[in-house]
Amino acid sequence: MGPYHPGLEEPYKLDMICEGETVQDAELHIGFNFRGIEHLAETRNYFQVIALMERVCGICSFIHTLTLCQAMEQLAGLEAPPRAQYIRVVMAELERLHSHVLWAGIAAKLMGFKTMFMTCFALREKVMDVLQAISGNRVNYSMNCVGGVNRDVEDPIALVAMIDDLEREMMRKVIPIFTTSSTARSRCAGIGVLTPEKAISCAVVGPTARASGINQDLRRDAPYAAYGEMSFEVPVEQAGDVRARLFVRALEIIESCRILRQALEKMPPGEISTGADKFSFATGTATSRVEAPRGEVMYSVSWKEGSRNPARVHVRTPTYANMPAVRWMVRGARLADTPLIQASIDPCYSCTDR
Amino acid sequence: MISLEAISEKQGITESWTESRGTHWLNPGAVSVRDLAKSMNQVQARFITITAYQLPGAEGFRLEYHWDLQGRLLGFPFVIAGNSIESIFDLCEAADWIEREVHEGFAVNFTGREYEPLLLRAGDKPGVNLRDVPGSTAGPSTPPQGQKEVAK
Repeated sequence: MGPYHPGLEEPYKLDMICEGETVQDAELHIGFNFRGIEHLAETRNYFQVIALMERVCGICSFIHTLTLCQAMEQLAGLEAPPRAQYIRVVMAELERLHSHVLWAGIAAKLMGFKTMFMTCFALREKVMDVLQAISGNRVNYSMNCVGGVNRDVEDPIALVAMIDDLEREMMRKVIPIFTTSSTARSRCAGIGVLTPEKAISCAVVGPTARASGINQDLRRDAPYAAYGEMSFEVPVEQAGDVRARLFVRALEIIESCRILRQALEKMPPGEISTGADKFSFATGTATSRVEAPRGEVMYSVSWKEGSRNPARVHVRTPTYANMPAVRWMVRGARLADTPLIQASIDPCYSCTDR
Repeated sequence: MISLEAISEKQGITESWTESRGTHWLNPGAVSVRDLAKSMNQVQARFITITAYQLPGAEGFRLEYHWDLQGRLLGFPFVIAGNSIESIFDLCEAADWIEREVHEGFAVNFTGREYEPLLLRAGDKPGVNLRDVPGSTAGPSTPPQGQKEVAK
């Protein structure tokens, strides 16, 4: 299946060995979207590299620059002001909402549930309206800079009403249908199971891990930005099937709305960046990790003092960790379920290939 | 919470952990990467990635292995003089793709495993992606001389 197939939104290839309609084994092939971004990063200065890494992924573009900027701030000995840390939380959670609702729409389409697809994409537009109201952009927001953010949230309280509206629609329409409809149940329950043992062995991350009973979330376990000041739950399911991944993301949408409300209501006044536009980076390596919508993103950034360009930028994206587990999820599955199974990890091949 | 000191003591490592820029570092000394992977499995640490750096001249490579232990990021730097190191793939399934990627990008050989066809790039020449190859024609996008000479 693939690298270009109607069931897969991006290019990758799943070679499956089948007996009748049952998948016996599978092999994954990636690299169809390889852009050499890690190499390119070594040729970009400290402003350009932020714009470059924003393009690792279209959906979590903010998360990538946040992770990069946090690592660069460590090398420059800078700390973003409190208001910037709150704005980073707001943008990160809006991006999670955007990503999860987009995923729900695609999952609905793969289930053959086209009205749900339209509902999800209409909701996604509302999330993107909020992102546009803050940043001026629908994707690639250019919000992060070394030492803070580029744009302020001028009226945080006005955005609370938009979040309330979003949450109401999610609670009223999307979540009940996904969790109770017979279509969703018959297409998702008991399908594409990843056992907790295999989830640990494959070191999967994000909602894929949490749907297999692995209770991990960097926002709680290793807080960054202003997450240490937020109160929220980490949803965990035990079944490890497509339905559990659906439930985890549905519950995470509610938690994201909860975090957003807190961040907007408690946003402290003050500067949004350190104001520096020339930086001196210390020689050495800094690492930064962020909980992206699909799971943990990690950047290792190395610099040589006096250089304008990084010496090395290594990116470990969540799909890179989750994708190999698809091999175990599709074993024993019906061939017709494999597009939905691979979609259930919310894969991003653009991230994976870099 | 598992004590980091208990991990290093069990491995017989006398050096202490240092926390620097987001990572708890431990120099593994004479401990092999396979023994380290076994000890990480014992404490149920989650493998994250391997970051490879080419050292200046012909000094070899530095490979930084990262695990997560209850929210703490652990880092173990291994400096290899040549271009090979033992694979941990059989001990840590999650290391499969990154070992293949480092092999492809830097021509580092992970011994004791078989390689599938190249992961990210089509072609049959590993090491032409992220590795500086002496004598190669430097294009306009090549990083400035000496930029890669990063010390820990």
